[in-house]
Amino acid sequence: MNKHSKIFFTAILLQLLAITAFSQAEKNDLSLSISYFNSNNHIQYLVAHAKSKIDGKFQMIPNINLSFYIGTEDAANLLGKAVSNDKGDALLFIPPNAKDEWKKAAKVSFVIVSQKTKAFDEAKGNVDITKAKIQIDTLADKKITATLLELKDTIWTPVKAVDMKFAIKRLDADLNVAETPTYATDSLGVASADFKRDSLPGDSKGNLILIAKVEDNDTYGNLSSEKIVPWGKPITYYTEFGKRTLFARRGKSPIWLELLAYSIVLAVWGVLIYLIGQIKKMKKLGLN
Amino acid sequence: MKTNDTSRREFISATLLAGLAVTGCSSGKNPFEPDAATIETVKPSGEMIKLLSVDGEVIEVDKAFLKPVPSLPQVSNELARQGIPGKKFVMVIDLSRCKSLKKCQSACNHMHSIHPGQNWIKVYPQHEAEHTAPYWQPTTCMHCDEPPCVKVCPVDATFKRQDGIVLIDSDRCIGCRFCMAACPYSTRVFNWEDLDLPKEIADKPYSCETSVPQKKGTVGKCDFCPDMARKGELPHCVSACPNGVFMFGDMNEDVVTNGSETFRFSDLVRDKAGYRLMEDLGTKPSVYYLPPVNRNFPFENKEEKEENKKS
Amino acid sequence: MESLAKEQIIKDLLPQKFGKAGKIWVGILLAFCTLGVIAYILQLKNGLVVTAMRDYVSWGIYISNFVFFVAISLVGSLITAVLRLTQAKWSTPLTRIAEIIAVSAITFASIIIVVDMGRPDRFYNLFIHGRLQSPIVWDVIVITTYFFVSILLLYFPLLPDMSIMMQRKDQTGMLWLNKLYAYLGKFWKNTAAQIHISEKAINILSITIIPVAFAIHTVTSWLFATTYRPGWDSTNFGAYFISGAFLVGAGAVVVAMFVFRKAYHLENYIKDDHFDKMGKVLVLLALLYLYFNVNEFLVPAFKMKKSEEEHLMGLFTGEFAYVFWFAISTAMLIPIFILIQKKGRKPLPAFIAGLLVVIGSWFKRYLIVTPTLLHPFLPMHDVPESYKHYFPTWQEWAIAMGSLAGALLVVTFFARIFPIIPIQETITEIEEHEQA
Repeated sequence: MNKHSKIFFTAILLQLLAITAFSQAEKNDLSLSISYFNSNNHIQYLVAHAKSKIDGKFQMIPNINLSFYIGTEDAANLLGKAVSNDKGDALLFIPPNAKDEWKKAAKVSFVIVSQKTKAFDEAKGNVDITKAKIQIDTLADKKITATLLELKDTIWTPVKAVDMKFAIKRLDADLNVAETPTYATDSLGVASADFKRDSLPGDSKGNLILIAKVEDNDTYGNLSSEKIVPWGKPITYYTEFGKRTLFARRGKSPIWLELLAYSIVLAVWGVLIYLIGQIKKMKKLGLN
Repeated sequence: MKTNDTSRREFISATLLAGLAVTGCSSGKNPFEPDAATIETVKPSGEMIKLLSVDGEVIEVDKAFLKPVPSLPQVSNELARQGIPGKKFVMVIDLSRCKSLKKCQSACNHMHSIHPGQNWIKVYPQHEAEHTAPYWQPTTCMHCDEPPCVKVCPVDATFKRQDGIVLIDSDRCIGCRFCMAACPYSTRVFNWEDLDLPKEIADKPYSCETSVPQKKGTVGKCDFCPDMARKGELPHCVSACPNGVFMFGDMNEDVVTNGSETFRFSDLVRDKAGYRLMEDLGTKPSVYYLPPVNRNFPFENKEEKEENKKS
Repeated sequence: MESLAKEQIIKDLLPQKFGKAGKIWVGILLAFCTLGVIAYILQLKNGLVVTAMRDYVSWGIYISNFVFFVAISLVGSLITAVLRLTQAKWSTPLTRIAEIIAVSAITFASIIIVVDMGRPDRFYNLFIHGRLQSPIVWDVIVITTYFFVSILLLYFPLLPDMSIMMQRKDQTGMLWLNKLYAYLGKFWKNTAAQIHISEKAINILSITIIPVAFAIHTVTSWLFATTYRPGWDSTNFGAYFISGAFLVGAGAVVVAMFVFRKAYHLENYIKDDHFDKMGKVLVLLALLYLYFNVNEFLVPAFKMKKSEEEHLMGLFTGEFAYVFWFAISTAMLIPIFILIQKKGRKPLPAFIAGLLVVIGSWFKRYLIVTPTLLHPFLPMHDVPESYKHYFPTWQEWAIAMGSLAGALLVVTFFARIFPIIPIQETITEIEEHEQA
């Protein structure tokens, strides 16, 4: 009997394990990544991305509550909270309370923690960045140079062999200055490019915003630096808006149409009103 | 619109040139866009937010100027009718890349809560003549520069803005459907019945720019997502396409992008022999097509095969 | 002798009470109207989804009914104005029939267009936000103008009859009718001055109504001709529509002539000669309309442009072939064949010819609206299967038939209240004829 009950117990235990394992296997793993953005050496922000491998394909996960931390995952180091959107992204601008942690060292780390949900357990992600900046400059003949400097202890030192992009800022995206996709920095940390986009429309004075950026760098995150250059064509644009056309708004129809329509209407209704006057006249004649 | 005075403009430009070492970007002007020609797309909201700058200093910035834009208040009906000044939105569709995945369609339908069965983007299997190439043609509203739909609307419910976008005001539309008869591209749909939307969508305040929620008895169509354009983001179809078929941009900036690739618009259309649909009708559409040369994918019409199987 | 004849005329032409047939007729019309109203309430509640119209066929039989009504309403200008101005005295008994058909038709054209709107609650937007560039706004302006011109053209010749009606108070049957006659025409004393003003007014109106009538149907044709679609993109449309309008209007008058003659025993006033003359008018108009049809269809068929090929073949031999050839034969070919013969211009065959014209014309209007919408430039795609076909639902039929019944009801009630043949003008004409 003893032996049988042992086997019986083991069988039940195994069943229970299988059940718990099965229910745990229902939960997919949420993988979090966090990227650091330095916008023109001024504004900095973090973008977290939540995705999960479901049915062999990576899917972006919305509606995850995410907490951003600087340094370590302490309540004191909480930067803020955000919810991932339809694309699985959550954005947080770095708030003032990060000041002390930020100023501590040249290397800073950020941690992202997701809240446990029905479908996903708590997940974490982190990124370590070294503070860096781009100094952009222009030379004659529409030449552009940019120096990438990283902070070593308290000294800004040039960085070599990092890919940089040079582009002109436009509405939704940046147009690269020439067909070459990237430019690597040399031993002095300098990358240079030629501006090849002739007659690109700028603002009314022909100004363009030049941007040098480092994208998705493992050490430095995303950096950018901007400069206004007068290399564009002064913009001229033409619009029919506000003119008198057949497709303009009410009150802005072509003059010939208004003249034609109003004169016809006045003529015919003038006759009708005259005739109604005639009826009144007949009334007067009849009732006398 | 041109009430910005020059001196202030130059001051801001100078500040930017100095490298933004100063704090205090709390002026009423957007420091991230140079002067008036590309006139502010975003007006200062007045709501200031404190952030930590890269230098470790505490700065105050107007919430509306942050890029990426967190959120924008809705524009008034009058501003929605005028549009974003200085811009002329244009779309380039690369037919050689389209595989009829219809991600554009599902993204657009989802984001605008369109009635199931209807589509603002239609992906046509085109094969004009026996010996010409078969290809997939995604068709949005053309936002024509001489829009036949706008010409015939009796109540100014559909209108053309100065940024080239043709919108529909569902609060004004009387449902006469003359615009649907006039459009040669068959791009307009009609809300024949109540849409039965979930509460959070049905309760959203309506704006011509978001076109949400759609209303019974009115007309709807692709709107080039002007609410996204105001934020400097791309329309939903453009971001949703995995093959980069759609490219969107401002003709006055001469640039179009599909999110990952950016091109100079005039060069792209000229070099790849872009064309517009039904050019001979004189509607002057704002959507350019790049011919299906060097197709990325062979043309397979699964729908036709299914239909043939059925019959 | 004279006064007796006058009394006889008045007695014959006074509005008569409904007999049994009349009551059944009114009952049927009321039933159709009620069904139409019920269907419309359902449409208001659920939206236009209750119709079979969808994104491709976005205009259906409501619009073809609208065009049909506008077309018929042109008869007012034809009979009352054109024939009057050309001194065709034989048309005098028919003027009021024509005019009430015109007023009734134009009223129901406005009603059916509101029925077709997706948001009739925003109807006022047409006035406070109206765009002068839109052909719909032109249509609203012209229809309103035509309505008022027709009302006046109905009213002026009615004035002398009002005083005759008031003198026969005891014979009208209903007290409120006497009040109505008094309100309308109490001041008419048949003085020379009044007659002079009235005649001048009628002449002015007859001249004015002709360009307004031309405008109304030309502008209605422009609702289609200002679009690019095959079948609508035609420079022929204005003349094509107007000739069709005159035809169906004349056909409607022939039908009405026959019915009133029979129902009210008006054989001495609507004589065989009237059918003979109207028959000739009808043949002429049918030949004219046939000429425009040939231009409208054979010329594009010669070219067979790609966008038009599908449309034309659909009409000639395709899915619309039955309706197309039915419409052509009943609206034009058969009536021409009947009325071109002298025997065919007798009352009964003329009535049948007129009826065929009206029925054929209704289907002709359907063929103008729907087939074009089913042949768009870009093939029908990415829509549910139901979007690719069109056959009206019972609600659409109910509302369309209800509107037709309503128009007929207005004409019927008008004849019950007012003399359908102008009494005073008939008397004047007989007196002039005898003096001559």
